[in-house]
Amino acid sequence: MILTRTLTILVLFSGAAASAQDDVIAITGGKIVTLAGEPIENGTIIIRNGRIAEVGANVAVPAGAEVIDASGLEVYPGMMDAVSRLGLTEISSTAATVDMTELGDYNPQLTAATAVHPSSEHIPVARANGITHAVTAPGGSGGFGVGGPYGIHGQASLINLAGWTVEEMAVKMSVGMVLHWPTIQTSTFDFSTFSRVEKKFSEVKEQYEDRVAELEDWMDAARRYAGESEKETDLKLEALAKVVEGELPMMIMADDARDIKRAVQFAEEQGIKMILLSGRDAWKEKALLAEKNIPVILGPTLRLPRTEDEAYDKPLTAASELQAAGVRVIFASFSSANSRLLPYEVGNAVARGLPWEEGLKGITLYPAELFGVSDELGSIEEGKRANLIITDGDPLEIRTEIKHLLIDGVPTSLDNRHLELYEKYRARQ
Amino acid sequence: MNVKRFVWTAGLVASVRVIAGGGAAVAQTMVIRGGTILTVTNGTMVNGDILVEDGKIVEIGTNLSVPEGALVIDARGQFVMPGIIDAHSHIAAESINEGSVAVSSMTGIEDVLDPTDINIYRELAGGVTTSNILHGSANPIGGKNAVIKHRWGSDAEGLLFKGALPGIKFALGENPKRSRGGRRGVPRRYPATRMGVIDVIREAFTKARAYRKEWQDYEAQKAHGQADLVPPRRDFELEPLVEIMEGKRLVHAHCYRADEILQLLRVAEEFDFRIATLQHVLEGYKVAKEIAEHGAGASTFSDWWAYKMEAYDAIPYNAALMTEKGVLVSLNSDSAEEARHLNQEAAKTLKWGGLSEEQALALITINPAKQLRIDDRVGSIEVGKDADFAIFDTHPLSVYAVPQKTIVDGKVYFDREEDAERQKALVEERAELLEKLKPATEEKQ
Amino acid sequence: MKTNVLRLCIASALIATTSAAGERPKGPDRYAITGARIVTGSGQVIEQGTLVLEHGLITAVGASVEVPDGVWVIDGSGKVVYPGLVDALSDIALEKSEASGDAPFSRGPLDRPGTTSWAAAADALVLDDDRVEAWRNAGFTSTVSSPSTGIVSGQAAFLNLAGERDEDLVVATPVALRVNFEPNANRSFPGSLMGVLAYIRQVFADASHYRVSQTAYAREPRGKRRPRYDRALAPLAEAQVDGWPVLMPGHWEHEIERAVRLGREIGVRPVVYGLHEGHRAAEFLASENVAVLVSLKWPEADEDRDPEAEEPLRVLRMREQAPKTPAALAKAGVMFGFYSDGLESPKEIFASLRKAIDRGLTHESALHALTLGPATIFGVDDRLGSLEAGKIANVIVADGALFDEDTRIETVFVDGAKYEIRKSTDEGGSP
Repeated sequence: MILTRTLTILVLFSGAAASAQDDVIAITGGKIVTLAGEPIENGTIIIRNGRIAEVGANVAVPAGAEVIDASGLEVYPGMMDAVSRLGLTEISSTAATVDMTELGDYNPQLTAATAVHPSSEHIPVARANGITHAVTAPGGSGGFGVGGPYGIHGQASLINLAGWTVEEMAVKMSVGMVLHWPTIQTSTFDFSTFSRVEKKFSEVKEQYEDRVAELEDWMDAARRYAGESEKETDLKLEALAKVVEGELPMMIMADDARDIKRAVQFAEEQGIKMILLSGRDAWKEKALLAEKNIPVILGPTLRLPRTEDEAYDKPLTAASELQAAGVRVIFASFSSANSRLLPYEVGNAVARGLPWEEGLKGITLYPAELFGVSDELGSIEEGKRANLIITDGDPLEIRTEIKHLLIDGVPTSLDNRHLELYEKYRARQ
Repeated sequence: MNVKRFVWTAGLVASVRVIAGGGAAVAQTMVIRGGTILTVTNGTMVNGDILVEDGKIVEIGTNLSVPEGALVIDARGQFVMPGIIDAHSHIAAESINEGSVAVSSMTGIEDVLDPTDINIYRELAGGVTTSNILHGSANPIGGKNAVIKHRWGSDAEGLLFKGALPGIKFALGENPKRSRGGRRGVPRRYPATRMGVIDVIREAFTKARAYRKEWQDYEAQKAHGQADLVPPRRDFELEPLVEIMEGKRLVHAHCYRADEILQLLRVAEEFDFRIATLQHVLEGYKVAKEIAEHGAGASTFSDWWAYKMEAYDAIPYNAALMTEKGVLVSLNSDSAEEARHLNQEAAKTLKWGGLSEEQALALITINPAKQLRIDDRVGSIEVGKDADFAIFDTHPLSVYAVPQKTIVDGKVYFDREEDAERQKALVEERAELLEKLKPATEEKQ
Repeated sequence: MKTNVLRLCIASALIATTSAAGERPKGPDRYAITGARIVTGSGQVIEQGTLVLEHGLITAVGASVEVPDGVWVIDGSGKVVYPGLVDALSDIALEKSEASGDAPFSRGPLDRPGTTSWAAAADALVLDDDRVEAWRNAGFTSTVSSPSTGIVSGQAAFLNLAGERDEDLVVATPVALRVNFEPNANRSFPGSLMGVLAYIRQVFADASHYRVSQTAYAREPRGKRRPRYDRALAPLAEAQVDGWPVLMPGHWEHEIERAVRLGREIGVRPVVYGLHEGHRAAEFLASENVAVLVSLKWPEADEDRDPEAEEPLRVLRMREQAPKTPAALAKAGVMFGFYSDGLESPKEIFASLRKAIDRGLTHESALHALTLGPATIFGVDDRLGSLEAGKIANVIVADGALFDEDTRIETVFVDGAKYEIRKSTDEGGSP
């Protein structure tokens, strides 16, 4: 099965690679939603050497260019999954296939990209629904949850969802340090026994305070390490020093409002850049988050309310509530298998009040800006990488199909395990 | 006596009655006006009206006259579809698995129904009106089910879908193999392989056959006037299995792999019964032909995959491909969260498999109704059927569709606007209660 | 219950001893309490009356009763006399049972998991329980004590709280069968609520079948396969045939309904115990004619909980309204008793009672639920529960209205034996 896959991609890549290097690709006739101005009806995009060379309504198509006719179709920037587990897990209940979370509470030195499996079946599956690049992050737990155990789990990596090797896939090896903030909640999901556990508050509080103190110690140690000229190399502190020196943001996962507040305070005290991940109760602290300019990579819109009496649609309206309060909202799947469903998380948020363009930017331009790669990705503008999708409609709408996909200007196959199995068994008599 | 109560505060009950047009115990004449009616079985009617009396659909047409005193629901610009039916749910139950034994057919969801589960309401807010509450998948032969209507506020008895054929859960594959782990002297539970799973089922039905014979012999002797007879001991584990063999109880079998699906179909045929629905059935597309020939329905996920080895070959085209090959397919949730957007799950089959809009809607309405043998009552908008509706602000097969009202038996059980009011009332009530409860704690100190 | 062989004991009250104290001297056998306000508990209140008790029984009670010669007269002026109180469900004077963690591994219903239906409280009494004296000092002359572990725990006994030997306590046994909906902790059958309920259904069906097959076999064994011996089943069959109260738990409304329906299904007389949400089930219980036991341990928030965690409104409502349950039950005409449910002292019991009274329970109904109510539920109302001639002399003398905070119990009679309550005792005296 995998051999057939590899051969298919081989054929496509070998053919396309040659043309990407020497030739030019033109996408013509489609409605281009650039996210850098008004959409261009019946526009043309010229791609050269993997980059967008020209975008406009009246752009001449160079001779010899490979033309992709997008008449009646729409062109968008490829979607970006701001926090995924792509490449880090294959079958979540089978431990041998899972590389999401290491042992130990403090592993800043680990990097997701070092464990990404380029042949993961999840990658073509996600790609087929319009995800062209994604941040893959350590710390997940598998199963159907967003979160994972407490700790500094390592660095997240930004990868294109195409490439023979991780080296080819990597856009930026390290885009952020993942920290799962401890929680003050007494009712939590125990990942080792896979069941809900109710703890005594006094115990939880003690552990919480211990952990925050430990985190502060780690940050102090990193700061000291950064300041020393002569030192023995310490890989962990070296990694953490990048956060202290402002090179990497701290991607802090927290859900409870108190945890979020404390994390924000921590980031401020430490003088580090913070991104809030998941943020189930972020709406409760929207004023604080807006004031401190902390962007939120929101956990699934499609989740149940936090408590029995919370509004049934709270998780659905959270995004629009945050955005209206001035918080930068970005969406992510926090998943590998479900990365392809990312646009529908956004669609649901839009259905409940988030402006459509904000939603779309939340999975294109905003995450690119957040991770410092907006000069390369996130919109259809000259000079940026040609990570593009051509659709037959609104990409946030469920029935929309992706007709063409380009990564780094290379038309990339939408073939994937699911399509293959479908066609194979459809043919069974 | 069934005592039906609303759980909302007294003040709100009054306003609910105004909008819902009557208290819990009173059936109301209702006209839903001006909506686009997606009947599912008879096409689409634009600008249509539905007249409801005593909880049943009495008339469907355009410009119907409104009887005096009827509650009018303005559905102009909105879409009215049959209430969504979820064929695989675990809400409203205080326990889900009796995994200590391989055969737990003596247990039943009806015994442990919890009518206070908020998920009943949350799913109403997603357009669901009927759910098949199933035992879990820890056992090759699990416990009995309960089909419920989402009559939020009623007691346990009041939730039951009266007249629905009873059912039972089977489970194949990884889950039933994976029971107690043999720690601390606790023996592992047989079976540990797929061979054992199917063996447990054959063994149980072999016993059930003998049990049935025992009772038949007894009845025959009694009929012959034989005196001094002691009836056989009633065995609640075997009775449901006899009911299955007699076609009086539907089997809903959780399964994944194509081989185990086929095994089960053959075992059922061996014991002269048919599987009513294969649940999850993620590799069903591989043996769709055999499933269709056997006559089993298939109730599956829209797109879950890769969470277990047996789900690795799952494809989002499953529902569409099985439909194409002649299987009666429904989409289910197996999740209180997913159940809230089954309309969106159905929409996925438009893209993944190319089903038509009508076929897609059928997956969450008339198809599960047929699978549960309740299609004479629900699953489409037809005269004579129960007045169960989900009203959306746009076509339900869209990610942007927001449920506005959900009606069960002709009563409005969910109203989006009213919910906002209800939320406010709950916040006030919480503050009041916390205030009232405060002196108690201080006094204790 | 009347067709059963009852072990009716008239306590040898002459040499009644307190459980922990030293030997008591032999006291008089005949008393008269004169000039007191007598609350009979059966509807009549005598403002100035006399109560005569002789040889363990009440022999006369009324406004113009002649005091017999030779009785010890107690001046009851300014006092109030009540029937002795009953704690309707406890484990007072019961041997402690082993930890349930050692329960045998059960493979299915035939292994009779958690079933010790033959275990009678009356056969496992230990007088050496501080609570006997503590409860008695506060006016509790009786309790219904029952084993409480497992699913079918065993047989409850109606006890008087005084005696020299264990057996002296037993007024009647068995008075009820106790059932809990507790799954097995050791991961064997039944491991869930669903399994427990299914098991109960099966084991009671087996009990009916047992009775039928034993009877048929005894009549003529030839030609029949011999019935299996199963000691768990005979008491269950008796409970079905003789209408024993079968105690089944239920706090929330749907749990209460569930217990009653299951009880009906298995052919027994259900008595629900718990009742935190009983106020919502009052109409249902009245229409089903089901008696209940109300826990006096009002629900409270867990002490070591997250102070900011939002508890469900459903729980807050239940907690706030639970003390209203007794008044609601009384209003609906439901027969009920009160039980201490693990409260540690009678002081706490009375504090609980006062909460119910604050929320609308009349003093009369409160007294009924502590006297004639439980006596009726457990089938001993023909001999206990009110101050009537011929009944057992369980009597308490208070210096004021029973449920007032500063009222003291001065004297307690159990089976006609007198106990003076010393002021210095912390536990006793003041309710």
